[in-house]
Amino acid sequence: MAAASIAYVGGQLQYGVNFCRGQSFRQADWLPGLTVNGCLQRELSWSYGVSKFLQIHRCKFSQSPASENWKSFRTLTTSAYLRDGSTKYFDFAVIGSGIAGLRYALEVAKQGTVAVITKAEPHESNTNYAQGGVSAVLCPSDSVESHMQDTIVAGAYLCDEETVKVVCTEGPDRIRELIAMGASFDHGEDGNLHLAREGGHSHHRIVHAADMTGREIERALLEAVVNDPNIVVFKHHFAIDLLTSQDGSETVCHGVDALNTETQEVVRFISKVTLLASGGAGHIYPSTTNPLVATGDGMAMAHRAQAVISNMEFVQFHPTALADEGLPIKPKKARENAFLITEAVRGDGGILYNLSMERFMPLYDERAELAPRDVVARSIDDQLKKRNEKYVLLDISHKPREKILSHFPNIASECLRHGLDITRQPIPVVPAAHYMCGGVRAGLQGETNVRGLYVAGEVACTGLHGANRLASNSLLEALVFARRAVQPSIDHMKGSSSDLSASNMWTRPVVPKSLGTDVTNKILRATKEVRKELQSIMWKYVGIVRSTTRLQAAEQKIGELEAKWETYLFEHGWQRTMVALDACELRNLFCCAKLVVSSALARHESRGLHYTTDFPHLEESKRLPTVIFPSAHMMSTWSSRQLHQQSMY
Amino acid sequence: MARPGLSRIFASISELSTPKPSFTGFVSESTIRSASNSASRFMCSSAQQPRSSHEEKANEEKPESVKEKLEIENEEEEEDGDHVNKETGEVGGPKGPEPTRYGDWERNGRCYDF
Repeated sequence: MAAASIAYVGGQLQYGVNFCRGQSFRQADWLPGLTVNGCLQRELSWSYGVSKFLQIHRCKFSQSPASENWKSFRTLTTSAYLRDGSTKYFDFAVIGSGIAGLRYALEVAKQGTVAVITKAEPHESNTNYAQGGVSAVLCPSDSVESHMQDTIVAGAYLCDEETVKVVCTEGPDRIRELIAMGASFDHGEDGNLHLAREGGHSHHRIVHAADMTGREIERALLEAVVNDPNIVVFKHHFAIDLLTSQDGSETVCHGVDALNTETQEVVRFISKVTLLASGGAGHIYPSTTNPLVATGDGMAMAHRAQAVISNMEFVQFHPTALADEGLPIKPKKARENAFLITEAVRGDGGILYNLSMERFMPLYDERAELAPRDVVARSIDDQLKKRNEKYVLLDISHKPREKILSHFPNIASECLRHGLDITRQPIPVVPAAHYMCGGVRAGLQGETNVRGLYVAGEVACTGLHGANRLASNSLLEALVFARRAVQPSIDHMKGSSSDLSASNMWTRPVVPKSLGTDVTNKILRATKEVRKELQSIMWKYVGIVRSTTRLQAAEQKIGELEAKWETYLFEHGWQRTMVALDACELRNLFCCAKLVVSSALARHESRGLHYTTDFPHLEESKRLPTVIFPSAHMMSTWSSRQLHQQSMY
Repeated sequence: MARPGLSRIFASISELSTPKPSFTGFVSESTIRSASNSASRFMCSSAQQPRSSHEEKANEEKPESVKEKLEIENEEEEEDGDHVNKETGEVGGPKGPEPTRYGDWERNGRCYDF
């Protein structure tokens, strides 16, 4: 069970599933179903390759008087809304309500109607949990070049330079706009923004709101969104699949199907433009800092819709999250997102031990516990896998009790709640998945290879992060790209003619009412178990220290698990067009997991966040993005095909 | 790995790992109380949740001073008004040691971003 076939970016891209035959590509590299990285010949820039690719297939829109179209469409929107409750018509559909989605919504709402579709409460997003800050050049002694350099170095030189330049240049204006919108950031006594300096930055440039920057930004944006008459927020609407059609060789997006998880009703959104801003996929792993909503829905939907995915192997982990398994009193409920133990504990003298009380860091790095975070994460992962254990120990108890309690009261009280006194005992810790550097491939305007589909935020792979994200650059990326996607979206919207009969083009998803409660409960239980098993496979075989053998094992096991689960579903009467929250989330998790595995297998070097013992060094010739093209007719699993395409196979 | 970047990160970590008297001296008890309360404002506050019988038992075995300190943090009201950080001039910011001193963004020991 291989993932979709891959093509290299850079050099001449052909559309669809044919790819650079003109280049000197070893036959084996691009067998259908294989993920590849790197075409050795041409070294065109990342985004040049993308925009070239995207330019080839831009079809001409039928020109119609834009404002007339829009006005009549607006009226139609209202009456369409009233007539048919299960299909809604909007100019713009935004999937996700984090910083990217909301920022975009507020701009495009000046030109048309906007639906913000979000799977839980609007504030439930990774943004809300991004507590640190946003980076931008806001100090006279700082420079865009410096920010760029820091970003590129952190990204292990895999970043797209044009993207980095755009983001670092436009960041400051985006921050100023946020402030104008009411986001309140910390200032100094002199009235200027207070800028902190986070790891990897060579200047003070982190804008923050005390200790809850993401929350503050989310608050300000949500307030503006709620007050905007052109924006309707559909909360508890889980996006199922994008609605797409083929226009020649090009895929076009017309909207999205969603499930109202409160009323268990399917709602179809028809929109001229769709922005995917659905965030990350931390829950492909058992331990993650991400809120429960982060199940990679957008990446999966986009992949199923034939969008190009890139760099999924670069998953950022934090080395030391509190490991609940090691606490004397286990939390009654499974912790939804990880409690990260700060590097400051190690900085203040904390020592890492395995469960045999052996101090292992000196074996991996002469800097021991003070080695960079990625090295520490790798070392811990290696120990856990070698010893088949669930966590390691971080011991600060040899330090004065007063110091520990004054510096780390949060850790102290959280551990005490669970029967652990950190002034006397070591803290159980395990790495937690935090951020996906990869995602849906975006050009400089947030455009994808699917016409009418734009992406911004963590779901996107813009080329900014490269092989490793620089601290506080993710909120920045979301802001900049959300803004950049606005004009192209408006242009696209104005140039689109509305075809209201289109709404029946696709089979509608159905809720599994006909199965009865017993069966649906059984399926729910099985789904929850399979999810845990998938997460366990990902952690065990696709962790921080990888190897070809382990990755291949992961591929096989995930394939088997998916088949087992789908068989179970269908044996119990599940129809391919049926939808339920847990099943759809798991379907997306499978999709993302496979994307990560095949990307990891394709990179025959170690770079940034991707480390493999089979290719433990950087390889200059491999300093290229990993790209996954969909291979339309190859996959037969439920997770790999759009719901409305299921009946074709 | 991007080595130049790492050496920069390492440099900043090793700089900061030398105790800075000004920072540690700044952390007074009132600061601890307000810092902990400010943290509890926005997150599930471990310090402020009602104690279950489990916790009561576990806490009995803990040294008195540990328990006391955390209790004090529970009961103290947060002072309103703009706190000014003497080191950085930051108004209304996080109290206590600089959150980014070791590279990540931490508050009271919990890392929130990196």
